[in-house]
Amino acid sequence: MENIEKQLREEAKKLLAEKKVDVIVGYEEGTLPCQATPCFIEDPESVERLVWNKYCSVNLAKYVHDLIFQHKESQKRAKPEERTKKIVGVVARGCTTRSIVLHLQEKQYDRDQVVVIGVPCTGYISKKKLAVAVGGKEVTECSVAGDTLSVTTVDGTKDIPLKEVTAANCLTCRFNNPVISDMMIGDPAPAMDADNEYKEVDEFEGLSEEERWAYFTKEMDKCIRCYACRNTCPSCYCKVCFVEQSQPKWVGAGIDETDTQVFQFMRMFHMTGRCVDCGSCLEVCPMGVDLRTFLKKLDKDAYNQFEYRTGEALDKMPILSVHSTEDKEEFIFEP
Amino acid sequence: MTENKANENWEPKIIAFVCNWCTYAGADLAGISRLQYPPNVRLVRLPCSGRVNPFYVVKALQEGADGVLVSGCHPGECHYITGNLSARRKFAMLKNFLSYVGIEPDRTLFTWISASEGEKFAEVVKGVTEKVKALGPAKKLVKKFE
Repeated sequence: MENIEKQLREEAKKLLAEKKVDVIVGYEEGTLPCQATPCFIEDPESVERLVWNKYCSVNLAKYVHDLIFQHKESQKRAKPEERTKKIVGVVARGCTTRSIVLHLQEKQYDRDQVVVIGVPCTGYISKKKLAVAVGGKEVTECSVAGDTLSVTTVDGTKDIPLKEVTAANCLTCRFNNPVISDMMIGDPAPAMDADNEYKEVDEFEGLSEEERWAYFTKEMDKCIRCYACRNTCPSCYCKVCFVEQSQPKWVGAGIDETDTQVFQFMRMFHMTGRCVDCGSCLEVCPMGVDLRTFLKKLDKDAYNQFEYRTGEALDKMPILSVHSTEDKEEFIFEP
Repeated sequence: MTENKANENWEPKIIAFVCNWCTYAGADLAGISRLQYPPNVRLVRLPCSGRVNPFYVVKALQEGADGVLVSGCHPGECHYITGNLSARRKFAMLKNFLSYVGIEPDRTLFTWISASEGEKFAEVVKGVTEKVKALGPAKKLVKKFE
């Protein structure tokens, strides 16, 4: 890890000094233990802030998109010949690169506007799982050594196997190494348990209709509609989200439970063939809504029906962006 | 709503999103040919089945429809060449996802009816009405207006 961090800082410094990028999006140490927050580095001297560890959770592709779009908006007032392009460097693990591939496929920015610094990834620590592991106590200190995480709380220090606190989406990740990259740091990470990625979905499909509906409504009842999931999702980049539209008003603003259900259902459905399973939405959700059980189903269907995995390759377009005469249609109703 | 099911007079409300170039003309033909079909279906005419936003389907269910039917041109016969092909993908995913969260699969139905198939239109409406009747009034995802 330290080695990767060192190399990462060197590469970042070089890129910034040579003016190959305007800004580097990476992770820096957070203000709390066990935390890393996104940071934006423009000065080659401050690359020491960059870290790469087990606490780096959210998908940085969101910030790449935001930065490039903000810049594009600001350029609208400049004369066409004076317009500049913003080039963003990003520290990217597998899921981040998949989001970037998706952005490129959806023509959000050009390939030359993003410099991908690929890093191998063996999963991040899920804060929710960690909170469960320490019984909800406040973590005052933590460190990773090998396969164990030692956490200090008021109850003393406790060693937890990393596997127990690694996020569920990381444990079964298929693309933990970058899909595209301009430079790779460190050796490729070992493969994760990708064969079991649809285990939860298969189990959920086995439940009865009423049980599934009960689970869905139970989960959606928790949702307070803070829209943190949408704000952190790299695939959610609409300028005006449907929840904020008023003509037509898709989702009511009241306390009716079906409004929340419809919001969540439609936001998830918008992830059809676009969810990279980075787990950012779960990581930021203040209420612990289980979105993954549902999002993963879309992923499974996309693979089973169209042999498509989000962001797998630049030439494999998202399923709803293309069509084929060969698609199956056993769902069509024939009286 | 539950009382309604006991009530034999309960009739389902079905919203049909239909393509202007085929199903809508098919419905017209059914009318001209004086074919009988249940009056439970309300047609919403759209330029193409590809115009159907999945939100229309979900929103119809939320705001009181007991069933939703989406109908367009047969694959390969789209007025806009490929509108129904993209629609087919969208609906395949939507139908699966709706039933995955626990909404009865028979509440959302998709079909192809061409402009010359007036008889098929009557058949489909009959079939859909029967299916939705068998399910009873919608209870899931239904907004309560008070």
